[in-house]
Amino acid sequence: MIEFKQVDKKYANGTTALNNINLSIEQGEFVAIIGLSGAGKSTLIRCINRMHEITGGQLNVDGVDVGKLKGSQVRRFRRRIGMIFQSFNLVTRTSVIKNVLVSFVPDLPLWRKLTGIFAKDHKIKSLEALDKVGILDKAYVRVDQLSGGQQQRVALARTLAQNPDIILADEPIASLDPVTSLMVMDDFKRINQEMNISVIMNIHHVEVALEYADRIIGIRQGEVVFDGEASGVTTAVLGEIYGGRFEEEMSVQAEAGIAYV
Amino acid sequence: MTTIEKQLQAHPRNMRYVLTLSVIIIALFIWSLAAVNLKDIHQSGLNIAQNIITGIMNPDLNLLLSVSKQSVLYLLLETVAIAFLGTIVGAILSVPLAFLAASNIVPKPVAWLIRLLLIFIRTIPALVYGLMFIRVSGPGPFSGVMTIGITSVGMLSKLYVDAIEELDTKVLESMTSIGCTTFEKVRYGILPQLMSLFLSVTIYRFDMNMREASILGLVGAGGIGAPLIFAMNGYKWNQVGAILIGLVFLILIIEWISNKLRTKLVKG
Amino acid sequence: MLMYDKLFPPKKVALRSGKIVMEKRSRTPLILLLIIVAVVLSVEFTNFNLKVLFVRIGKLFGMIGEMFPPDWAYFPKLWGALVDTLQMSLIGSMIGALLALPIAILASSNVIPNRFVTAFFKIVLSLLRTLPTLVTALIATFIFGLGPTAGVVAILLFTLSYVGKLLYEQIENVDMGPFEAMESIGMTRIQAFRYALFPQVLPSYLSNSLFCFEGNVRYAAILGYVGAGGVGLLIKEDLGWRDYQNVGMIILALVITVYLIETVSEHFRKKLI
Repeated sequence: MIEFKQVDKKYANGTTALNNINLSIEQGEFVAIIGLSGAGKSTLIRCINRMHEITGGQLNVDGVDVGKLKGSQVRRFRRRIGMIFQSFNLVTRTSVIKNVLVSFVPDLPLWRKLTGIFAKDHKIKSLEALDKVGILDKAYVRVDQLSGGQQQRVALARTLAQNPDIILADEPIASLDPVTSLMVMDDFKRINQEMNISVIMNIHHVEVALEYADRIIGIRQGEVVFDGEASGVTTAVLGEIYGGRFEEEMSVQAEAGIAYV
Repeated sequence: MTTIEKQLQAHPRNMRYVLTLSVIIIALFIWSLAAVNLKDIHQSGLNIAQNIITGIMNPDLNLLLSVSKQSVLYLLLETVAIAFLGTIVGAILSVPLAFLAASNIVPKPVAWLIRLLLIFIRTIPALVYGLMFIRVSGPGPFSGVMTIGITSVGMLSKLYVDAIEELDTKVLESMTSIGCTTFEKVRYGILPQLMSLFLSVTIYRFDMNMREASILGLVGAGGIGAPLIFAMNGYKWNQVGAILIGLVFLILIIEWISNKLRTKLVKG
Repeated sequence: MLMYDKLFPPKKVALRSGKIVMEKRSRTPLILLLIIVAVVLSVEFTNFNLKVLFVRIGKLFGMIGEMFPPDWAYFPKLWGALVDTLQMSLIGSMIGALLALPIAILASSNVIPNRFVTAFFKIVLSLLRTLPTLVTALIATFIFGLGPTAGVVAILLFTLSYVGKLLYEQIENVDMGPFEAMESIGMTRIQAFRYALFPQVLPSYLSNSLFCFEGNVRYAAILGYVGAGGVGLLIKEDLGWRDYQNVGMIILALVITVYLIETVSEHFRKKLI
């Protein structure tokens, strides 16, 4: 369970990114966070695995006070939380399986870390993670030869190999075309349901969010302005989240050819 | 004025620029003609040219194909060894220099200073290093290796720096989220990115070093250069022919292999 | 590499789901082994000795130390040789680049229909490129006598081969649509080349020629060593007489000259792209 208690985040230059956030997310939920660019979606997600420090309040993950962790405790804590990025963040010049194997690196003995020789057990786990996202046949291909959708699945497999309780996803489909976007979203949904992994996702595409997520959190200028089931999201609610600029936002998406039907 | 005439006037006016450049280039051409003096060609020059061609057409096959220590084969092998070891020495020296010259790793003034040093290293002709190393490690292939090593540093570091400055740092963010330490990030996030680029650049330099190594013999730093100049000075053109044929053949083979390897490295 | 897979067959990895993945054996151990063997052999061949290097490397820094401060009084004597070097590389690069144009055309299989002609010129260009410049210069001194002329010939031949090879590769990869269009309106192949292909390859041709010229200035500096004019002869003499302050002056002058030329040439090359 993830609990935000009056969480604040101010950047060093004085801008407020998050203001008095109070949330509680149960294990196994599929949460989509929507809002304008710069509303604080990325910051919110990154606070959960402490890629960003919070400046006020308290953030608990399964009873652990995240703000109190130190050095290697932070790294051990992050092992349980997977993260997916907009630009995939893979090492493109090596094979798919080597990218997935990286998720075991922190647990390896020193000689294995240095030589990069992995145990058979880890290789099998990596291959199984690739199988779960349907790209087992690409295991020994170099990443730069894959399409964007396939690359995002490699990233997903890397995260699965970590065997996480929570997956944080920061705009996972923003760099993908509509068709592959939906395929990647299907993967997320399946992982969420079959493995009971919580998924917390920032997403620009409101229609996709409404279709896939159980719960929607709307953020505006660092504050939560909506928190409820996807079915409760009305045009009025979107107007509130996007500050009356929802129509504008949608038309921009439509022009860019990324409208979802 | 009709619109057509107006459009005619609107023709871009870079005529003056092109004209000025042309005048400068022609002036430079005439000025540098001073370097050519065809009166130097004696009748003997033409005879020699003919001798060279007959020599190359009738190479000393005995010299080319035998397996003694003076044979072309042995000397070519020595040349390859000089180029290969020199490239490795150069690569080892270049890696730290490249990191010190990368502006995204060290402070600007340090990077600038190292870059200045690299410009000096790059401009000093190979033969100068050769002549200097002969006084350090004595005449012979050992000095050749060191000369090739130093001459490679200039280009290798420059290209390594380019690779370092183009590093994709986003992957490091994802490794942070996995819980990796700084060492693990360097080993699994940065090293794999640099490895294939560095290798590709180094193989290219090895290819170039074959040419460099084949002239080091002129200053006594080993390889096939020395017998080549002896044969020339003795007007033994069929020996010159044998050596040149061997050299050209070897360089072409190595260039072909190097191209194959590099395409494989870059494209995967 | 197929051989490798036969000698070391891929490992079978069985997943819990029952699927079987074939994992090819890593090439890394083989490559590492080859490199180590090559290094050991090269050390044997070249008498490379780390101990000697560490004991005597101080001498090198001693020599470099003696180059400071460079002897400024030497500059007037150096000036003539420097001008020679510049003139050699300028004229050699210009004529070489000009000659490269017709020869590259003759080597382009999309302009010249005769396969033997293109193959012949391609081979000539790659043979010329293989010969080290210093060797060409050495041969040229026998024909053209000692002096800058031999240097000019060597630089000319190198430029011809370098610019020529890049140019014919460029011509062969160019979009042939305009060429066909020009032929269809009744132009000869040469005219069609002039109006359809030439404009497409011109910027990179000029840029390559400039880049080659930059490199030629460096090469020209050593040609004097074999008697082909320029500062190379002075380097040989001064190093021979251990006159390191003069060598320092030569190097400083070269670095500044090369730096200036690279800056100017880079300015124009950026404009071309």
